[in-house]
Amino acid sequence: MSQLALSDLTKSFGAAEVIKGVTLDVEEGEFVVFVGPSGCGKSTLLRMIAGLEDVSSGEIVIGGRPVKDLPPVKRGIAMVFQSYALYPHMTVFENIAFPLRVERLPEADIRRRVEEAASVLQLTQRLQQKPGTLSGGQRQRVAIGRAIVRQPKIFLFDEPLSNLDAALRSEMRIELMRLHKSLGTTMIYVTHDQVEAMTMADKIVVLNGGRVEQVGAPLELYERPRNQFVAGFIGSPRMNFLPGNCLSATEIDLGPLGRITVPARPGLAAGDKVTVGLRPEHLSLSPGAISFTLRPNLIERLGLHTIAYSPLTDGQNFVSLFEGKPQIAEDADLVVSVKAGALYFFDAQGVALPPA
Amino acid sequence: MKQPRPMIDRYRWYELLGIYAGIFCLLFFCLAPFIEGFNVSLKPLSLLFSSPYRFWPENPSFEAYRTMWVSVPAFGRYVVNSLFVAGVVTALVIVLVVPAAYALSRFRFPGQSAILGGFLTVNMVSGAVLLIPLFRLMRSLGLLNTYFAMIVPGAAFLIPTAIWLLRAYMLRIPRELEEAAWADGASRFYIFRRVILPLATPGIIVTAIATFLGAYAQQFVYAVTFNSKTEYMPLPVGLFAFFGRQEVSWNELMAASFVGIAPALIVILILQRYLVAGLTAGAVKE
Repeated sequence: MSQLALSDLTKSFGAAEVIKGVTLDVEEGEFVVFVGPSGCGKSTLLRMIAGLEDVSSGEIVIGGRPVKDLPPVKRGIAMVFQSYALYPHMTVFENIAFPLRVERLPEADIRRRVEEAASVLQLTQRLQQKPGTLSGGQRQRVAIGRAIVRQPKIFLFDEPLSNLDAALRSEMRIELMRLHKSLGTTMIYVTHDQVEAMTMADKIVVLNGGRVEQVGAPLELYERPRNQFVAGFIGSPRMNFLPGNCLSATEIDLGPLGRITVPARPGLAAGDKVTVGLRPEHLSLSPGAISFTLRPNLIERLGLHTIAYSPLTDGQNFVSLFEGKPQIAEDADLVVSVKAGALYFFDAQGVALPPA
Repeated sequence: MKQPRPMIDRYRWYELLGIYAGIFCLLFFCLAPFIEGFNVSLKPLSLLFSSPYRFWPENPSFEAYRTMWVSVPAFGRYVVNSLFVAGVVTALVIVLVVPAAYALSRFRFPGQSAILGGFLTVNMVSGAVLLIPLFRLMRSLGLLNTYFAMIVPGAAFLIPTAIWLLRAYMLRIPRELEEAAWADGASRFYIFRRVILPLATPGIIVTAIATFLGAYAQQFVYAVTFNSKTEYMPLPVGLFAFFGRQEVSWNELMAASFVGIAPALIVILILQRYLVAGLTAGAVKE
C-alpha cells in the first residue's frame, strides 16, 4: 500500500483553478520531486499535502488515513519552507526544539532529540547562536533540523535550495540525499530546477498548468517523455523541436534543415504533421545516416563539453552539444549527424508517438 | 580606526556647509521656544520684561526651580497625576491594540476594511467636537471628577492610530513563520505568544511611545472639561496655578514646564533602549 495517495485533487482560488485533478501514489521511503515551471501549481500541491491550503475536491490519504480535514500536525508531515522560516528571536537550539516544546515533551527528551538532530546536521557548535548570525546553508540546516526532530512520516521541502548560491546548492543537494539515505523517510521535494529533480529523485512528477504531465524515474522521463512538454522540460540544454511534414512514412521534410529519412514506425504516414525532437547531446560530428548542415553563431566551450547555437531560418535557435573540445568555429558550416534511434517524434497535439 | 565614508556619503565643503546650515535653521525653529523658555526660567521675574531685550540672561540663577515648589506646593502631585493618567492610558491602549492589530493584519473577515476605515474616520473627528456629548455621558454616569473620566476618552482617541501603526509593523512579520509554527502543531494563541509577540516588540514599543506622548499631550482638554478636583489635576492644568491674581510668575512657570516634561522624557528614553533594529534578521531569506 502506498504511503501517500492523492486522488483527483483540485484546488481553486476563487474562479482560478490552480490544481486540476492530481492523482498520485508515493511509496514509503521514496524521494519524490515535483518539478515544473513557475506557476504550475507545484508549491500549492505541496502546501495542500502539508495542510496549509485546504482542498477544493479530492482526497489525500497518508498511511491509509484520509487527512484532508486534519491540521498539519496530525498528518505526520514536517515541512521545510522555501524561506527557512526560522524564529529570529530564538537560538538555534530553541528553533529546533520548537515543535517538541509545542508537544510539551520533557526537557531531557527535548535536549536529547535536538542534540541528535544537530549532530546529524553538523550544527552542534551553533546551538546557542541566533539564526541572524548563520550563513545561508546553516540556516537551511536549522530549518531541516526543525523538521527532523518531529520524526515525521513524510518530509515536505518547498524549493529549499533556491536562494543558495550555486556551490552551496550542490553541496546541500548531496547532504539532502545523504540525509534521505540515512533516515529512509519519504521525502517530497518541490523545485523548478530540473537538474535538482534529475539528480535527487527516485520519482519525478512533472507538473504543468495544475496537471501532472508525467510521473516516472528520472531516466525514464529523459528517455521516454510522454509529450513535448516533458521532453522540453527534462534535459539541459533543452531538446530541439523541429516542425516537419511527412512526405511518406519514412521521409520527413524539416523545412530549413532539409529532408531526413527515418525508419518506418507506427504513427508516421504521408501528409502527417510531426514535430521531431533532437537532444543537443545526441548530435555528433562524425558522419551518419541522418545529418544536417548548421552554421553556429555562438559557441560555448565549457571544457567538459562544447555547446553550439545555430540560428535557423525559421527563427529557432538550434542547440548542439559535443563532448570535449572539438575544433569547430563560429560562422562556419558544421555538419552534424544523429542516429535514427535518438530521434523523438510528437504528433500535432504534442503527444509522443509510441516507440518504434 | 575611523572608517572612510562611503562614496555616496561624500560631500564637497560647500555642500556640507549647506547641509549644516539647513539643519541649524530647522533645529533653531524647532528649539527656539525651548531655548527662550529655559532662558526665562533662569531670569529673576523683575528682569523679565526689561528692555532692551537680552537673549543671554543677566546673572542667571536656578532660583525659580526652588521657589516653584514653594509657590505651588501641589506641583509634584500634578506631575504624578499626568504620569499616572498617561501611563494607564498607554497600558490600556497596548493591551487592547496588540491583539487587535494582529487580528487585523492576519485574518480576513467580513467588515475588516470597514473597521480599519472606521478607525481612520474616528481619528478625523477631533476630540473637541465630542467634548459636549462626552461631558453629558460622563455626567449621567456619575463619572465626572474621576481619573476614569480622563483615562477612558484619552485611550479611546489614541486606539485608532495605535492600531494602524502596529498593524503596519505586524504585516511585515513573514507569514511563513506562522505557517511553520502551525505545521509544527502550535495553536494560534501559542504562535501569537511565542512567535509574534517577541518579534513585534519594537513595533509595540514605538506604539507605546507614540501613545504615551499622545496621552501626555491631550490630557489638557479632558482634564479641563471632565475634572474640577484640584488633586486630580494633571500637569498642563496644574501649570495654571502659576497664573496668580496679580501677575504671572513666568520664570517659575517655565521652570515647572521643564520639570514636568522630564519624567516623560525619562520614560521615553527607557523605552527606547528596547528598540532593537533588525530583530527579524535571519528569519527568512530575502
